[in-house]
Amino acid sequence: MKKKRFAMVFDISKCIDCKACTVACKAENNIPLVKDNYRNWITEGPLRGKYPKLGQSYIPGQCMQCANPPCEHVCPTSATYVNVDGIVLVDNKKCIGCKYCMTACPYDARYYNEKTGAVDKCTFCVQRTSVGRIPACVETCPTKVRVFGDLNDPESEVSKLLTKHPYRVEKPEIGTQPFLFYLV
Amino acid sequence: MTTTITNSKNIIGFSVLGLGTLLGLVSVGYVLMIGHSNAYNLTRQIPWGILISTYVFFAVSCSGLCLVSSLGHVFGIKEFEAIGKRAILVAILALLTGFGVIAMELDHPFRMAIWVILSPNPLSAIWWMGTLYGLYLILLCIELYAFIKENHRLASLVGLVGFVVAISACSNLGAVFGLLEARPFWHGPYLPIFFILSALVSGCALLALIVYFNHSLRGIEMPPEYKKFMITLGKLQALLLGILLFFIIWKIIPGLYEKYPGIYEATMAALSGKLSFNFWFFEAFLGLILPFILLLNNSTRTPFGVMLAGLLTTVGVFFMRYDMVIAGQIVPMRISDGGKATGVLHYVPSVAEMGIVIGSICACLFVYVLIEKKFDLSHTGHH
Repeated sequence: MKKKRFAMVFDISKCIDCKACTVACKAENNIPLVKDNYRNWITEGPLRGKYPKLGQSYIPGQCMQCANPPCEHVCPTSATYVNVDGIVLVDNKKCIGCKYCMTACPYDARYYNEKTGAVDKCTFCVQRTSVGRIPACVETCPTKVRVFGDLNDPESEVSKLLTKHPYRVEKPEIGTQPFLFYLV
Repeated sequence: MTTTITNSKNIIGFSVLGLGTLLGLVSVGYVLMIGHSNAYNLTRQIPWGILISTYVFFAVSCSGLCLVSSLGHVFGIKEFEAIGKRAILVAILALLTGFGVIAMELDHPFRMAIWVILSPNPLSAIWWMGTLYGLYLILLCIELYAFIKENHRLASLVGLVGFVVAISACSNLGAVFGLLEARPFWHGPYLPIFFILSALVSGCALLALIVYFNHSLRGIEMPPEYKKFMITLGKLQALLLGILLFFIIWKIIPGLYEKYPGIYEATMAALSGKLSFNFWFFEAFLGLILPFILLLNNSTRTPFGVMLAGLLTTVGVFFMRYDMVIAGQIVPMRISDGGKATGVLHYVPSVAEMGIVIGSICACLFVYVLIEKKFDLSHTGHH
């Protein structure tokens, strides 16, 4: 079977900042309800225009599932690794809690989970995607901002979107090669 | 009469250090009971705090002590031969204390001991840090053994290997920060090089303290060879401080020049923001400028003056490590709140973090003074 390369494409013009994705993620992944604990977030973009004609975008984010992930490079015990589908994961039992990956991630995508005793991050809901389902945040999004799929499949929706539309990635200058794409 | 005064000084000294150590132990117990996240003021945005900077302080001091003492038993500068054994002993204690502090920072120090061996990642600077400082600790113990047995051939040989490992270990510790492209204030080859120079400064400062207090606390007059050593050490330290001053200036200027995002905000936090008192008062004035003046001036470059300069520099270097660790994380990774930068982040060490830091310093001094009291560490010279 051909290897997969999972990715997510965002159409931020559809985001209404309802934060259903954050709630769904916390429920799906049993994330302890503490201030710093979250796998995904929504950033408010800058205000555009002049009062009273104003515009603003909301930018959802999470682990960028980088092809060149600094968190994997810095982990002293190889607790952070990339699986066959290109998802960056943490092997909880190997995590020593040095938090080097947290300082190395340019997207602030990681936090320390006291319950699991390891650094935690978005896994593209690996427990769902490994059995052919889509991540909880994608499933719950009321305006369909998020599209999830396999970039190695030219017929997938993500492949088609990225062929048809121009897109950007976060902090491309750092060379992390993110697999979260934002349509522009 | 003198003996009575010395005894009462000893009792007071041991009581203060003992109380400090006890404070550290209580803090450790508190952290183990309520957990890191409740005891430490760390966040997902500032995951490294004062325990990391204190570890850096101890580890780099350890390297510095060996580098400076190697001037004697490796490079053959006569004046420095007298201090080899004490320098190595304090280096070992500093490194062990540093390991203790970082063990309290790690959430799972025992997992570390297993997985750095079973699942190593040689791409990680922290993996190299553990490996190099672990190897270094072994070398230091062999070196101390060689000194005790007065095997100068072995001491020189291990000292030479130790010299290479000391530079590798402390520059690699700089690389722990310098390799992170996500943190512009740290990123680049500057920190590994800076750590080597600042290790030498730390080493000279601590040696001045060790030699001075070793005589004054015993109530004995300093022999001429040690006085001569103190003056030479003072001259060397003046040179190193002068160079360090320019290292710091050249860290600041590029930080301001093009207002590069991440570097500019962190530099401004040190110059006029949340870290400015630390920077100007402790790091620049107390740690650098005042000792530099003391050591340049012939009338103040006395054993007492060199000791005082060493004490001020040691305090300054402690704050230098803290400022470096915090400044690198103080700029948020994400712009939020309506697109405006929220400015810089906030971090103040918690009571438990401070307790562990004070405890670690006191414990290190306590054990050192105890060993000085129980064992004869005086130099016997080459045969």
